[in-house]
Amino acid sequence: MLARIASEALSGLEGHPVEVEADVVAAAPAFSIVGLPDAAVQESRERVRAAIVNSAFQFPSRRITVNLAPADLRKQGPSFDLPIALAFLVATGQATDGCDGRGRIAAVGELGLDGSLRPVAGALALAQSLRRRGVRGLLLPAANAAEASLVPGLEVYPGRTLAEAVVQLAAGGGEAAPPADLRALLRGGPGDGPDLSDIAGQHLAKRALEIAVAGAHNILMTGPPGAGKTMLARRIPGIMPPLTAAEAIEVTRIFSVAGLLPPEMPLVTRRPFRAPHHTVSSVGLVGGGGTPRPGEVSLAHLGVLFLDEFPEFRLSALEALRQPLEDGEITISRRLTSLTFPARIMLVAAMNPCPCGYLGDREHECTCPAHRVRQYAARLSGPLLDRIDLRIDVPRVAPRDRRDPAPAEASAEVRARVVRARDAQLRRLQGTGAYANAHMAPRDVRRLCRVQRDGIALLDRAYDRLRLSARACDRLVKVAQTIADLAGTETIDAGHISESLSYRARGAGES
Amino acid sequence: MNARQTLGRAAEDAAARHLQERGWRLLARNVRIGRGELDIIARRGPVLAFVEVKARRTGTCGTPEDAVDPRKRRQIARLAELWLSARPWALAGVSDVRFDIVAVDAGSVPCRVRHLPAAFTCDG
Repeated sequence: MLARIASEALSGLEGHPVEVEADVVAAAPAFSIVGLPDAAVQESRERVRAAIVNSAFQFPSRRITVNLAPADLRKQGPSFDLPIALAFLVATGQATDGCDGRGRIAAVGELGLDGSLRPVAGALALAQSLRRRGVRGLLLPAANAAEASLVPGLEVYPGRTLAEAVVQLAAGGGEAAPPADLRALLRGGPGDGPDLSDIAGQHLAKRALEIAVAGAHNILMTGPPGAGKTMLARRIPGIMPPLTAAEAIEVTRIFSVAGLLPPEMPLVTRRPFRAPHHTVSSVGLVGGGGTPRPGEVSLAHLGVLFLDEFPEFRLSALEALRQPLEDGEITISRRLTSLTFPARIMLVAAMNPCPCGYLGDREHECTCPAHRVRQYAARLSGPLLDRIDLRIDVPRVAPRDRRDPAPAEASAEVRARVVRARDAQLRRLQGTGAYANAHMAPRDVRRLCRVQRDGIALLDRAYDRLRLSARACDRLVKVAQTIADLAGTETIDAGHISESLSYRARGAGES
Repeated sequence: MNARQTLGRAAEDAAARHLQERGWRLLARNVRIGRGELDIIARRGPVLAFVEVKARRTGTCGTPEDAVDPRKRRQIARLAELWLSARPWALAGVSDVRFDIVAVDAGSVPCRVRHLPAAFTCDG
């Protein structure tokens, strides 16, 4: 007898419909799965067999053929265990599909040998895709229910075991999980990590971070070890505008597909902060692999990608960053498909001024030979540095600041200013497709950024004296615009330009 | 007939008796197809079983079912398919097709017979 159960396959972040068909006939016994299954899907046979027997169902000695249609889509992972088991049980008359005439429900889930249902990766993306296609409901492991019920309009049927799933299928769904209250989850989530007030002094660096965040500019911090570069970077998510509900869903979807969603947290409520080690491969950084997975740039989507020891990263990894920095997404091409992962990040890089770390320090002497210093800086290519609008020095904290008992400004106050500056940008950038100053096209810089006469004079002088390129000049204006937005003024004056000029410190190889 | 063949023959007789006593109808014995052989083909109700008989004099060489290695399993599965394809009517009224092993422990008198239903399938 033949039975069909609807399911869903993930390819990147997108779901694709998969029809699981089971045909059971009296013939020499065999259990085969066809339809481009990978190794994990092949192993599904053993899990399904054990789960069925251990759930007190019969596994008759017949020829079982399972087809996962369409046959040209590669099927990966263990999430087809449940639909395969259900299709088999319906085909052998041990279960009934009670959905007739009410709209079908899809099933996903991994089976344990004892018949328990284990969570699968990407439940949110699967649920969204099913909802878009108008599928009525989804039968899935209880551990995934909270995540899937973030999708409004889709009935979610959680099951803890195969036996429970069979009961729900017979009822055409049974009891649906209550829809998640997105706003309550967002409010109830953990805060945005450590606070800026923990850091004494470093006023210049904090100011630069505020500007960087306000205009979504990438930033490079150069300073000796222990100056607090990492501490500063970790506090950036806390001064970024809070995640909106739509953004939280976007971030959660990526974490869920990567299998990084903590089981007790159905929703990511704070902006991500990703700090991959400098030994990361280019695939680890931008995503890819045989089964394409989101890389660190995508996991940092709408948050911060922090690259400490910037010049120590592999050149291939650094160069691979250029496309996502440019486009806000990363495209991975494979033989059969090409996938796109979002990657709208704020890049925060940190480096020592030289290999030993003490070049320019007042207390320590730098022990690096001159050519090593040059080699170190030269590892960062011009085109990459070009994407980094602000470059600042982060010296060691002055002793006076370290002793200062007055508390430093809290993240919440900085965030309030950032939000105001972003609002001003959104109003000005309407219709350009950009949402922050850093993403303005050169045309828009000329059209939208209004520089006062004294500012233009200063800009012209800098252009001559510092031999700036046209691109570097654009960048200068963009940062100055952000400074003006923070100050709440309509036009850019000489003060804004000169502050902007101060953020093109050292950093290697000015363009 | 050498000693090993004698043992095998005696074991198959014991296995056949064992099955018949439990309601199995023997459809065929020692079916030779090419170079291979199916020991017993039996039917009980809706179940059709291809039975491999394994005899052991002592317990020192592992259990009889261990002696049916993957290669032997594949061979039996292939022979069964050939046998069935030549006799489609043999499947009339059949719901389950099984590969069974009957283990005969010839070291004891009378010999002990164990029946392992659905011992393996075409895919291992």
